[in-house]
Amino acid sequence: MSTAASSAHASAGITVRDVTKVFYRGKEPLTVLDKLNLEVTPGQFVALMGPSGSGKSTLLNLIAGLDRPSQGSVQVGQSSVSNMADSELAKWRSQNVGFIFQTYNLMPVLTALENVELPLLLTKLSGAERKKRAQTALRVVGLEDRSTHYPRQLSGGQEQRVAIARAIVNDPSLIVADEPTGDLDRQSADDILTLLTKLNTDFGKTIVMVTHDPAAAERANVTRRLNKGQLS
Amino acid sequence: MIPLRYNARSLVRRRTTTIAAALGMALVVFVLAASLMLSSGIKKTLTQSGRPNVAIVLRKGSDAELASGVEKAHVALVSAREEVARDGSGAPLSVGEVVVVITQEKIDGNGISNLSIRGVPENVYAFRPTVKVTEGRPARPGTDEVVVGKRARGRFKGVDLNKAFELKKNLPVQVVGVFEDDGSSYESEVWGDLETVRRGFGREDGVSSVRVQLTSPEKMDAFKTAIEGDKQLQLEVFPETTYFEKMSEGTSAFVNGLGITIAVFFSIGAMIGALITMYASVAQRRKEIGTLRALGFSRSSILFSFLMESLMLAVAGGVLGVLAALGLGFVKFSMMNFASWAEVTFSFNPTPEILVFAVVFGGIMGVIGGFFPAVRAARVPPIAAMRGA
Ligand SMILES: Nc1ncnc2c1ncn2[C@@H]1O[C@H](COP(=O)(O)OP(=O)(O)OP(=O)(O)O)[C@@H](O)[C@H]1O
Ligand SMILES: [Mg+2]
Repeated sequence: MSTAASSAHASAGITVRDVTKVFYRGKEPLTVLDKLNLEVTPGQFVALMGPSGSGKSTLLNLIAGLDRPSQGSVQVGQSSVSNMADSELAKWRSQNVGFIFQTYNLMPVLTALENVELPLLLTKLSGAERKKRAQTALRVVGLEDRSTHYPRQLSGGQEQRVAIARAIVNDPSLIVADEPTGDLDRQSADDILTLLTKLNTDFGKTIVMVTHDPAAAERANVTRRLNKGQLS
Repeated sequence: MIPLRYNARSLVRRRTTTIAAALGMALVVFVLAASLMLSSGIKKTLTQSGRPNVAIVLRKGSDAELASGVEKAHVALVSAREEVARDGSGAPLSVGEVVVVITQEKIDGNGISNLSIRGVPENVYAFRPTVKVTEGRPARPGTDEVVVGKRARGRFKGVDLNKAFELKKNLPVQVVGVFEDDGSSYESEVWGDLETVRRGFGREDGVSSVRVQLTSPEKMDAFKTAIEGDKQLQLEVFPETTYFEKMSEGTSAFVNGLGITIAVFFSIGAMIGALITMYASVAQRRKEIGTLRALGFSRSSILFSFLMESLMLAVAGGVLGVLAALGLGFVKFSMMNFASWAEVTFSFNPTPEILVFAVVFGGIMGVIGGFFPAVRAARVPPIAAMRGA
């Protein structure tokens, strides 16, 4: 992480243009996003709010390259995310996006260090270098003394910090977080938000965070509200 | 690549189902290894007493000693050939023997079974130097004394040291010794006096077979050509090694075939076991797999990872099966040898090739059984990471 500031893709801007996302329930079409536009400048910390079912996660998935829009385009940094083939997209995600999930999504059978190391297995780094970087990432989230612990031996807040370490270990240009504090108590939630703020201010990461929590949204530079397929 | 320890630990985590599926695999590998070991043991037992410089002479067209008959006069003729080696006194190194099969009551109460009786001449121990009387003493020629092979001993009523039994009605014999021959098929026979057996079974006119020791293995062809060329004799010559190999073929192929058939049937079950286990595992781990995909792992790396997982499962089972099969090394197994129609006792012969083959077979079953679940895992979309479990 010490090299983050000098990284080639320390942060990325996002351009979402006229994006429509339609899901089908059987034959019934459900338009979740309707010609939606969003601009995120490099290094911005954006909070996405809105009622349940409004399409926040759907939008986040499109930005992070987990899914493709029905229409419109998504551009992240220099990459046209909505145009990439599956395998290309997987590689792009591994190099450019850090994921933080509401339910942490750590591998239960891997230790904290092994979980953090996972994304590095897709790089050409040596085993020793991978270990070093994973340890550094754990230090950033303050859990270097828990590296050999398994997820079940950690509290929810600690699990989420390990997940954050995993999200930053590849030094991505963009971090997406879907309700990262949704399952946490106030204190742990605040710790996580402080960490995210630090990643944004100290390391210049672009962050898009979906949240229901106004206190969380306050930490962001901007808050956008999603309603009936449109942003306001 | 997704680290293998991820798969290994995932298997350990689902201990119960993993063990159940691995035991299924173990059973298949056990059956396969056991039958191959037995088949190999049969071959070893039946062929080991063959010597390349010994020729066996049988009546033309009879594949085995039991069905063969050689006239007395021909025994002398065959033995007199120049290719036949001689002992110090100038006597030819040859034995004419009578082989008959009797049925005898078994000791374990499992009814009756066939027992091979060989009427042997006086010089039999000189002719077969590997045969040693290890308990009691050799039978005296011209008497109703017999010696029994180590593996026949104690399996039939009266067939044990210092006991007596009847070769046939009103032909009682006394067991005065036990002999060994490095585990060869002779050890499953009873050896009595040639004349006694002849008289008892109406074979006064000849013998079943003649074995001659040639001056060298190279003389085999000349001897064979000479004997078979004499159309009056109507005899056939085999190198003893070839003869024993032929004798073992039917039985060992039968065991092989049976074992492989059973293993293949079982392996279908074991494959389904691995399939179900892996399907359940994939269903439970959709979110985990989705997360791996979100992190950037490719479909093919997921496919490979899950194939490795079921391979590990199968190989763990396979190693267990092979270890269990190795335990059979101590088990003796007696069955009918189709060629001699007599019971021969075999042991399981574990060779490295068999053990490796059995484990590899299990591994292949695992990969086949794990294939469709692995494909399903590879199809899990990255957005599965976002959804609830
Ligand atoms: N794969 C899918 N197939 C069909 N419908 C879907 C799919 N994913 C999402 N939806 C639907 O799209 C709508 C928006 O879902 P989304 O998860 O984006 O909402 P959200 O704003 O994140 O809600 P929440 O705050 O509850 O997480 C919902 O009605 C949901 O049921
Ligand atoms: Mg959501």
